[in-house]
Parts: sequence; structure tokens; C-alpha cells
Amino acid sequence: MSVAAKSIFLRGCGVAIVVLIAWCVAPRSASAQTYFGQDLPHRGSLELGGGVTWSPGYDLGSAQAEETRNPGSGTGPFVLFQTDFRTESAIGLQGRLGVYLAQTVSIEGGVLYSRPDLSARLTGDAESAPDLTASEKLTRLVADGSVLFHLIGVSFGGGRGVPFVSAGGGYLRDLHEKNEVAETGHEFHFGGGLHYWIGQGKHRAGVRTDFSLSRRSGGADAVDTTRTIPTIAGSFAYLF
Amino acid sequence: MRRLAAMGVAAALLTVYQAPALAYLKLGTRVGTRTVSLKWSQMPVRYFITDRGTTGVTSTQLQQAVQAAFSTWDAVTTAQISSQFAGFTLAGPTSGDGATVIGFQNRPDLDRTLGATSFMIDTVTGAIVESDIFFNTAFSWSVSAQGGETGVFDLQSIALHEIGHLHGLAHSAMGETELRAGGRRVIAAEAVMFPVAFASGSILGRTLKADDIAGIGDIYSSASFSRDTGSISGKVTKSGKGVLGAHVVAFDMRTHTLVGGFSLSDDGSFVIAGLTPGPHAVRVEPLDDGDIESFFDATLNVDVNFRPQFSDKIVVVPKGGGTSGVELKVVAK
Repeated sequence: MSVAAKSIFLRGCGVAIVVLIAWCVAPRSASAQTYFGQDLPHRGSLELGGGVTWSPGYDLGSAQAEETRNPGSGTGPFVLFQTDFRTESAIGLQGRLGVYLAQTVSIEGGVLYSRPDLSARLTGDAESAPDLTASEKLTRLVADGSVLFHLIGVSFGGGRGVPFVSAGGGYLRDLHEKNEVAETGHEFHFGGGLHYWIGQGKHRAGVRTDFSLSRRSGGADAVDTTRTIPTIAGSFAYLF
Repeated sequence: MRRLAAMGVAAALLTVYQAPALAYLKLGTRVGTRTVSLKWSQMPVRYFITDRGTTGVTSTQLQQAVQAAFSTWDAVTTAQISSQFAGFTLAGPTSGDGATVIGFQNRPDLDRTLGATSFMIDTVTGAIVESDIFFNTAFSWSVSAQGGETGVFDLQSIALHEIGHLHGLAHSAMGETELRAGGRRVIAAEAVMFPVAFASGSILGRTLKADDIAGIGDIYSSASFSRDTGSISGKVTKSGKGVLGAHVVAFDMRTHTLVGGFSLSDDGSFVIAGLTPGPHAVRVEPLDDGDIESFFDATLNVDVNFRPQFSDKIVVVPKGGGTSGVELKVVAK
């Protein structure tokens, strides 16, 4: 592992996974045969991609519907019922367009679309209303921009496999069911991934995996302040 | 009117407003064929204080407690209301003299009534012309800042409730009671306008709750009310038919506040206005935590034969708008 890779390894879990993948996938015998030909992406190269994403569900906290207790009728607030608020896991679609500023640096913009369920488990009703999970479906759009650093020093497969790290920020827009209400927010993300190019021409297709951690504020599931959401993506990419 | 154990809106000329678009129970009256919401047409509300104290409370202390209660309502930013102390008077809090008077009155016949509010209204417009409040000296009163005195009721708390009536609010059902010998005892409440008072010595009733704030904003909407709050509307049905008098509660999952409303027509329609924007859990229950007469005209056929339940939808309240079509299908007990 190069010094650069070690340094990246220390930056965070997401990056660590990416580097680890690169380390394991790369045939040891090919590690000295990295292809650095002029067909590598260069300044001005464009990358178009699209694929699917997956985000796990995450808890948004619990709360009690409380009433003020009459002195002498017990201790603590009177709990009418309990709620456990959650955003469920969701598969989404994403599209990206990037431009290389140099062989090792590119910037890109993308849009992610998903339909996660917002759910609330309602339990412990004081008057025995049956427990129930209330829900609604969100339409979530994230428009973001990222900077990618392509780690050609640890590429493998004759230059086909190129890990990268990325960071950026974006705008979040959640439309509630029936699209009657939109709630917006912001997100900042960092992570990494891997390109695996098929062919070595100037125009080439490939596949790409991403793992990122998105730190979000605002949006439909903003119960308190911010939350961190992991996302995994797999996509096709076309370089030209 | 606030009773020791149960209270009702006593004024004979009043019926509970039953038109849709309510966040809350508001007082209303018939004007011709219309039912109109009872409200003051001019601000500030000018009130006099009867220059007569009672054991433990001077008339000056009464005035200070009443002014504090008025100020609490006046501070609601989503409502355009204000009040003004006009001075002390020798007159008692009785209707018909054209002046709004608040004072003590000895009413031993009303052995469960701490205070009551009466009105004189313009029968053409429905506007309140005069409203009087009495506090029953059959009970002991306190203006202690800390509360905690056994056997005496906090004047400011009861004044806050009665002034809610004076502004046109009826009772909230946001509370729980239990039946005991001698009447209902409140277990918990989350509205100053709940009809049953907290125990003597308590000053918990000096603070308005989300339910009260939504209600007063619904009557005297400020620009902030229209701009910053939203509503939920829908129907409560049982076996395909509308349920009248169901208590529908919206719980804001972000602010953890409760605001209630009622289905107020035969088709089970309800509206809860004055809600903070965001996702809400919605729950419906029968009106079984108070005497029905504390909320509705006794002639109404209020249905209490159904089980409490939650909506299976999270209802998202838009800022400055409304979410409609919420269906709550209840089943008989």
C-alpha cells in the first residue's frame, strides 16, 4: 500500500473500505503493471453515469405524547402514547455527469431520486388504542456536486480499476405524499469508490461503485438537527 | 365556566359552534339562519375589576392576577388580541350593563363551579358586546406566586381559563379524567381550556398549551397564523357513516405538542387548524373524559361508542396550507 493510500486509509471508514477493496481485488502479480497510457482520462474528459443506490433505514428518535399531570394523581407526565419515528431503507436511482480537470481530479454533479417511507410506530396508548405503524411515502431528490480524487497510484487490472475518494455537498428536497408539501435541506458527503473501466480507448464504458456518508440537515425527516446517512451505489459509467 | 370537577358553558344564549373549519371548539351563536363564531369585533378588550376582594385576595391582587392572565393570552403571536384594564368599579360581574366586569361573587348554590363567564352579544353580527367573569367565593383563592397551598385555588390559573371563554373559546378535550364519588377528577390535561381544573394549590394552569394557542389563533388569526401554521382536515366514520363529536388529536412529531379538534357535523368532518408544519400522528377517541354538556349542546347526538385508534398515515402539515382527506375509520366498542 502506498503512502498516499495509507494516508487515505486513515481518513475514515468509507474510504478505508474502498482502499481495502482495491487492495484485495488487485491481482498481486499485476500490481506492477498498471497501465498509464494516454487513454487515461485527461483534462476535459467527460464521464456520464447512472445506476441504483441503496440507503439503509435509520431511526429518528422516540417521543412521548405527554399531558401535564394533575398534582396528586401520580408522578411524571401522563403519557398518552409513544412514537418511534423512522425513515425506512430505500432503493433509488441516480445520474451523474463529471468532467476531469486532470488525470487525478474530476468534478461532477448528480441527481439522486428515491422513495423512502417515513414511519412512526405508535404504541402504549393510555386508552388502549391498538399499536400501529403509521407511514407515508416521500419522494426524495438530492442534487449534489462532488470533487473526486482518482487514486491512479493504486489502480489495478492494467489501469482498469481505479479507486477514488470524493467529497461534496448538495441540496435536498423531500416531497411528501400527494406532493403537497416540500421540505428542503442540505447535505455534505464524503466517501469513495471504484471505477472499473472496460476497454482502454478514449471512449470507454465501465462500472462504478460508491460508498458515501451523507451528513444532512433539514428535509422531511429532520426531527432534531442533523443525521448521518450511508449510501451505497452501483452504476454504469461512460467516459468520452 | 370552570367547575371544581366539571364545567360547562353556562350562558343560555350560546351553543357550540358547529360549522366546519375549526381547530378547536369555539363558542358560537345563531344569527338568523347562520351560526357565527363568537368574538370581539374591536380590540383592546376593555375590562373593569370589581373593587371588592375576598378572604386572602384583595381587589388589587385580583386585578394583578387577571391582568397577568390577559397578558398571557395577549402574548400569543398567532392571534390578534389585546386587552386593557379600564379601572376598578363598584359594579359586580353581571351581564347587561354594557361593561365587561370581572370580580368575585358568592355563589354557594354552584358548589362545583369555580368561575363562570357570561356574554351579551350583538344578535345581528354575533360580536361580543360585553362579557363578565365571576370567581366563586364559595371556594378559597390564592394569588401566591409559588402555589402549593392546600385547599385554595390559584386565581390566575382560573382567570386564564375564563378569559379564554371571554375571547370566544369553548372547552378543549385535551385531558384525561376519572370518575370518582362526587364527580370527575382530572388525571392530566394539556390545555388550559380543559373543563376540569387541576387540584387546589396547583399553578400549572398559568401556562397556555399548544391546543389553547391553536384555538385562539383560529378565532383571531394574525398574519403569522395564516403564514406559519397549517391544518389537517378529514372525516371520522363508523360503518360508513359520519361520527359526530369525535375528538381528533394531532401530535407533532417534531415539537411533541398536542392539538385537538372535533368532528362537528353529521358526516364526521373535522378540521384542526393552527398546527405547526411537519409530520403529525393523528389519533381519534370518543369524548369520554368529561360531561358531554361541557362541550356540546345537549341536544346533539354525540357518538361515544367507538374505540380510540390511530390513523395509519403520517399526516404532514404544510406551512400556511392544509392537508385534507384524512380518513379515520373507527369501530364500535
